Amino acid sequence: MERENEVVAAFVAAFPWLDGRIRSPRKKRIFTDPVTREEFNRLVPFALGQGFRRVTHVVGTDDGDSLGFLYVFSDGGGVLLALHESAPKSNPVIDSLTPRFPGLEWHERELVDLYGADVRGLPPGPRYPLPDGWPAGNYPMRKEWDPKRFNRKTMTYEAEPPAAAAGSEAKHEER
Amino acid sequence: MKNDKLVTIPIGPEHPALDEPASFTVTLDGEKVVDVVVGVGYNHRGLEKACESRTYAQDLFLVERVCGICSHTHSTAYCQGLEELAGVEISRRAKYIRVLVSELERLHSHLLWLGVAGHEIGFDTLFMCTWRDRERVLDVLAEAGGNRVNYGVNAIGGVRRDIDPELETRIRSMTDVLEKEIDYYLELAMTDSVLAARFKGVGVLPRADAEKFGVVGPVARADGIADDVRVVEPYAAYDELKVNQVTDDHCDVFGRTIVRIKELQESLRVIRACLDGMPEGPLKVNVPRRIPKGEVISRTEAPRGENIQYIRSNGTDIPDRIRVRAPSEANWHGMKRMMQGAYLADVPIIVAANDPCYSCTDRAVVVRGAGGRRAMDWEELRAYGVEWYRGRGADISRVEEKLK
Amino acid sequence: MAALVKIFLFPGLLFLSAYGLCLEFLDRKLYARLQNRIGPPWYQPLADLLKLVGKETIVPKDAKEKRFRILPMVSLTCVVTAFLYVPAAGVGASASFAGDLIIVLYLSMVPALVAFLAGWYSRSVFATIGCTRTLTQLFSYEAPLFLSLLAPAVLAESWSVTDIGAFYRANPALELLNIPAFLVAMTAVQGKLERVPFDQSEAETEIASGVYVEYSGRLLAVFRLTSDCEMVLMLSLISAVFLPFATGNAPVDFLLYVVKTCVLLALLSLVRAAMGRLRIEQATAFLWKTVTPVALAEMLFVILMRRGLGL
Repeated sequence: MERENEVVAAFVAAFPWLDGRIRSPRKKRIFTDPVTREEFNRLVPFALGQGFRRVTHVVGTDDGDSLGFLYVFSDGGGVLLALHESAPKSNPVIDSLTPRFPGLEWHERELVDLYGADVRGLPPGPRYPLPDGWPAGNYPMRKEWDPKRFNRKTMTYEAEPPAAAAGSEAKHEER
Repeated sequence: MKNDKLVTIPIGPEHPALDEPASFTVTLDGEKVVDVVVGVGYNHRGLEKACESRTYAQDLFLVERVCGICSHTHSTAYCQGLEELAGVEISRRAKYIRVLVSELERLHSHLLWLGVAGHEIGFDTLFMCTWRDRERVLDVLAEAGGNRVNYGVNAIGGVRRDIDPELETRIRSMTDVLEKEIDYYLELAMTDSVLAARFKGVGVLPRADAEKFGVVGPVARADGIADDVRVVEPYAAYDELKVNQVTDDHCDVFGRTIVRIKELQESLRVIRACLDGMPEGPLKVNVPRRIPKGEVISRTEAPRGENIQYIRSNGTDIPDRIRVRAPSEANWHGMKRMMQGAYLADVPIIVAANDPCYSCTDRAVVVRGAGGRRAMDWEELRAYGVEWYRGRGADISRVEEKLK
Repeated sequence: MAALVKIFLFPGLLFLSAYGLCLEFLDRKLYARLQNRIGPPWYQPLADLLKLVGKETIVPKDAKEKRFRILPMVSLTCVVTAFLYVPAAGVGASASFAGDLIIVLYLSMVPALVAFLAGWYSRSVFATIGCTRTLTQLFSYEAPLFLSLLAPAVLAESWSVTDIGAFYRANPALELLNIPAFLVAMTAVQGKLERVPFDQSEAETEIASGVYVEYSGRLLAVFRLTSDCEMVLMLSLISAVFLPFATGNAPVDFLLYVVKTCVLLALLSLVRAAMGRLRIEQATAFLWKTVTPVALAEMLFVILMRRGLGL
């Protein structure tokens, strides 16, 4: 736990506002509480300086009124640092880390497609992972998006949940 | 051949080189690849949403099916994560059995890969021989888990199935047979001239790029990056059964081949050590249905590399968020870099050397007909297929009736 | 009348096709056994052919239909015609004249040209790449193949296959001088028949069958039959030039012919099983830089021997 505690202490020393918002619950893991976009952008270069040279992936989460983006950094020695960036659902703007970590491109595109995040600085490219005809404004991974209300034939999201479909969907789940 | 005009050919979504749908739109100048646009969609996106409306026990089955070949690593990572959240320590015997099945899985996955690599370069003899050996492993896995893939050995809190002495004998005799074959494959890889001609210098990924793109698994280890999770962050019984990770520094398809074959040899050693040291104990401990609130990141070493899962629980028996990052996801960007400047003939083997695990996708199908574009879902596609065959004298619409 | 029997029945079209199917079976069975598999039953090649004939023949919309349809027949016709001049099946060639070796070699080259045209007229991206490869390959293996077959011809001072055979039957010891040419011929013929390691133009995993990708049904059946017949043609030619030994007794000679061609086929199957496919430029480099010089050296050697021996 030595390294983990050292890292936490270093972060708190450099960013006093992080005190109490960053912890190491077990060995090899460091988590933060949600931080804003500005705070996150300052934490990233510091993390790199602490030896966390790789980002394994990004987890998008629906935190109720805000969207969460956990960037999981790795230092190659097994310690994972998860920086939890947060942005309000009404305006989920964050900055892409692809300039420094080009391997994150698809992870961040996924945030755009599935959570409706606005990731500034993503290079141009095809969408991922949803198909091309997907209706705009539908973000499947948001908690309020109900898969039962999505009509696959017409590729539209119904205003009201279909009553009849509910019965057959239940049967499908039982199977 | 016109060299002033570039040719764009679609490799995928349907192509004999790919076992699952993905599209590589390759732009060629003669035989050299100038550009490639990669298009993939994964199943576990829909899977993650599905997990949020099912209990942890049900999700175990979903997570296991993210991939057919590395299913055990996914379920291991999942169970580990939940056990950590619940603060439960599983028995040593369960850990050993998880390792045993993990290594068996690595065996059959790498053998599969070796065969596919051979097939991609037209070396079908290698393909047939490695898959024959793979059958031996699958037989053992079928006996251990009840199924050749998706073996369902894990349970939340331990394992569901035990290794009895008879199975142990069968595993040992299988490892003895396989050892000779795998030693031969290593010798073949080192000495065969066609393999050398087709693998060396192909799909080169310099170490700096490997780190930049964050590739994992045998692809990274062929660049000398020691990232084997079994060593970096030992899980299950890997803290007791030490694994010697294999690295190489060829940085090309040849290096990846060597790494995988040597990992096969190492897996055999670990399997034997596991059987030798198998402790007694219960298979499963109780884990409460409601998992305490918290978040956890769980890692395992799949045959293809680091498999990392994020699980967030909210105190109920239904997860708040499950994010599965399979190793192949990390390797796609590196793959594009590898293809630049490569020959067309090398594209299939470059794709294959990454050992990508696609998993099929429930996507809409776009049909470009004479009258514009139309999206079909599976029902419509099936109806279309039935009509098509009916017009040619084959009525397959009755098949589903018979199955009911 | 006798001529018609020779052309269409024996050793003409019917025998050629039937024996082609037999050799295909042997090849596939041996290949399978070498891979620890069971392999197909004896009637498999025939079954495959009949199945293809029974399938729908689809012509792509963009292809030039008349040419698309006629090309397979052109290919088969040339192979069958070439076969007329090769002594086979223990009986002499159905026809022969001075210089027929050149005719045989020329006609045997047509299938490759047809393959190029077939790919070209298919108007499919994979076919286009395949047909370029076919031509590239053509230039790589034809040179050593020609040279390796012409060297014994020079030594025998004849351009007729039948006469070459007769010469070596009279002077068997001289055949030993042709061993390098024999090795070159066996290597180059693997390319001509588009088999691993020289099957780049048909690479399934790279360009999905290349030139034949758009062919189906009856047309594909004719192409497949042609490649079987080509195999018989080339093996018969090689055994007629390098292993022309016969007893004069027709049934025994027939058996001898079968044995010779089967042994040659076994060698080719062995190579097919033991190797992977090279890249086109690697194959070309190998054929031009290694195989052709051997053929050239043999040619020079034979010319010198001719002068030296003063035969």
